[in-house]
Amino acid sequence: MSVVTVVRRAVLWVPDWPVVAAMTEAGLGADAPAAVLHGRGLVAVSAAARSAGVRRGSTRRLAQRACPEIAILSHDEGRDSRLFEAVAAAAEQAVSGVEITRPGLLAIPADGAARFHGSEEALAEALVTAVAEHAGVECAVGAADGLLAAVLAARSAELVPAGSSRAYLAPAPIDSLALAVMERVQREEVERLVSVLTRLGIVTLGDLAALPFADVLARFGPVGVWAHRLASGEDLAPPVLRRSEEDIAVEHVFEDPAERIEQLVHVATEAASALDRALLDAGVRCGRVRITARTEKGQELERVWRTDVGSRAGAFARHMTDRVRWQLEGWLSGTAGAAAATGAAPEPSPLVSLGLVAEDVVALGAEQAYLWGGVSGADSRAHRALERVQGLIGLEGVLAVAEQGGRSPRDRAHAVPWGQEAPPARAIAHPWPGRIPDPPPATVPSVVRPALVLDAGGSPVTISRRLAISAPPTWVRLEADPSDERARAANRHPSSGHVGHVESPVWDRPRPVESWAGPWPVSERWWSEDASRRAYVQVALRDEEDTVTAVLLAYGGGEWGLEAVYD
Amino acid sequence: METAEARLARAREALAGVQRRVGTTRERWEAPTLPLTPVLDQLLPQGLRRGQVVAVAGSTSLMLALAAAASEAGSWTAAVGMPSLGVVAAARRGLDLARLALVPHPGPQAAAVAGACVDGMDVVLLGPRLALSEPDRRRLASRARERGSVIVAEGSWTGAHTTLTAVASRWHGLGAGDGRLRGRDLTVRIEERRGGTARFVTLPLDADAPLRRGASAPAVTSRALGGAA
Repeated sequence: MSVVTVVRRAVLWVPDWPVVAAMTEAGLGADAPAAVLHGRGLVAVSAAARSAGVRRGSTRRLAQRACPEIAILSHDEGRDSRLFEAVAAAAEQAVSGVEITRPGLLAIPADGAARFHGSEEALAEALVTAVAEHAGVECAVGAADGLLAAVLAARSAELVPAGSSRAYLAPAPIDSLALAVMERVQREEVERLVSVLTRLGIVTLGDLAALPFADVLARFGPVGVWAHRLASGEDLAPPVLRRSEEDIAVEHVFEDPAERIEQLVHVATEAASALDRALLDAGVRCGRVRITARTEKGQELERVWRTDVGSRAGAFARHMTDRVRWQLEGWLSGTAGAAAATGAAPEPSPLVSLGLVAEDVVALGAEQAYLWGGVSGADSRAHRALERVQGLIGLEGVLAVAEQGGRSPRDRAHAVPWGQEAPPARAIAHPWPGRIPDPPPATVPSVVRPALVLDAGGSPVTISRRLAISAPPTWVRLEADPSDERARAANRHPSSGHVGHVESPVWDRPRPVESWAGPWPVSERWWSEDASRRAYVQVALRDEEDTVTAVLLAYGGGEWGLEAVYD
Repeated sequence: METAEARLARAREALAGVQRRVGTTRERWEAPTLPLTPVLDQLLPQGLRRGQVVAVAGSTSLMLALAAAASEAGSWTAAVGMPSLGVVAAARRGLDLARLALVPHPGPQAAAVAGACVDGMDVVLLGPRLALSEPDRRRLASRARERGSVIVAEGSWTGAHTTLTAVASRWHGLGAGDGRLRGRDLTVRIEERRGGTARFVTLPLDADAPLRRGASAPAVTSRALGGAA
């Protein structure tokens, strides 16, 4: 590890940032008792709640006993970092260049800024005022040499004189190392280290710093080195300053509301090349483009598209023109929203304005390429082919898929139009109890197909609310292949009970059940509109002499349905 | 005055050049193979050669398994006309979903869409109900040969290099109301375009352990039946 010269920095700390951010978004006043819950424990507690006796790490029930009117808010890391942007922007009113070490904590190289403001006290005052005025948040500022000392100083709003960081850190308890942790993964590692050190009798940072460096490395490895350097008041890396690039936006207002595609082709070209010019003028490129439009009825439509202009700079305008045109066509015809995985379908309605916003803006030449050379030929060839297919059959015709959390095979697939950005709705890492066990089926019809499950006597099998199955399934009839003339003819025959036009599904011949497993109950989302309560059964059906087809059937609302085929 | 041997060598070289250009014979280095899951080695002993058309009947899992190892090694895969493809099954077989594109309903543009995919992707899975005429199929096959991509088509395909038909499958793990699906033995009939006897291979397609490269190849039984199928 190379030695980094120790940088004197000022650290701006917003106490209980997760709860402050959550309260801002929920519209609660700063003096309301509130806490943020993650998993089973509270991760942050507001000042009012703390004075009522609520502690970090306690459970929801304990918190509600101590303070019945407490508002329990959900944990959301995205929200924390998003709202912290406002604080960083406010701090930039006072200093130029800040480093967001984690949401809630800003580091600022203090030397230059303190000279500009006259003294470190003046700098701290300027920072606190700027953040309170522009972001409406209270914060504390401290300054010291080295990261850990500065963080500790911020928590007690102190200015540690230059060169005395080591002495300042020495009496601090060993578990304050956790304050310098920036990532959750690292936190566990550090907590393990701290617990070992405590059991070894090393309870202050001074004790740790007094140990020989080589021995710490030999015994504890990289995390030990990290801790030793921090405890000695050294730095690990120089601060990485944020260079804020504004998003670049282009807006086009239609003179007459546009309702035909022909009107839009020209506008799409115009807007895309205007965006291209704006990006070139600023000397930047973008990673994503957000297309927004407003309809005559005042509805706001919005989609985000990835772009990879880095690999083909000249083609950006043409590429964007196609994207914009397809998106507008989709909105005008009302198909774009219907096929999208999220959001209700917007009503087709004339558009009154169109906006393009370039996001993830980085300076030209600063983009990250692959480790070995640029985008491979095969990748760009495949992207071109898919864009061509999108040109042939429309934007929504090509899907990118991902796995997401869920219980039934259909819920576990997430599809979005190729090139569009939409995160999966359900986290895959959650436990999903009651999930249909592996192996996953290779055929999952996009809608549930009807099926008949019969017992040995030919009467339908039912499953009661208490999961009692009326009789073991013996026969299963699935829907016949629509091209199967024989099945259709048999269905039309008067002996099947139908005369004339047949509305009900065309049933294939009954197939004997060889073996089966279930019923497995899955009761999902009972609190919402799309609640479902089903019992799943895996059935192996004998086809011909020795061919067995396995299917997944679901029973719900008195009907059997074919969920998936293991073919 | 050149010797007879030198003239003969020159003639052979010219003939080989013509054959290579026309595509009647290909050198080993000219038709590199895509990687194949070890379990499937018995099905395609010569590997999944680029430019081939493989017709698969009766098993979507087999189609996914054919594409899996190539996708894992960095190839792109498109599935055209397969609206009910199991995404999770594809991922478990080893396909990289980041390099998989689905075109579920190409409609009347099927030929153009499949052509574009054959141009740009390494493995193209074609569903059973595509609006493709015989000339369309022939054009696609020759395009695949030219571009070096592999077409894996569900259903029959006249002129396919290899036709794999799932003739029998046995599942185990289910009881009478208990257990769960655990594994399957799939018997596949293999017919090569160049004729010869149809072979039957039984392979364990869904063992409880995921079917991936690097996993030890389970035992495969094979028997050849006399007579062309």
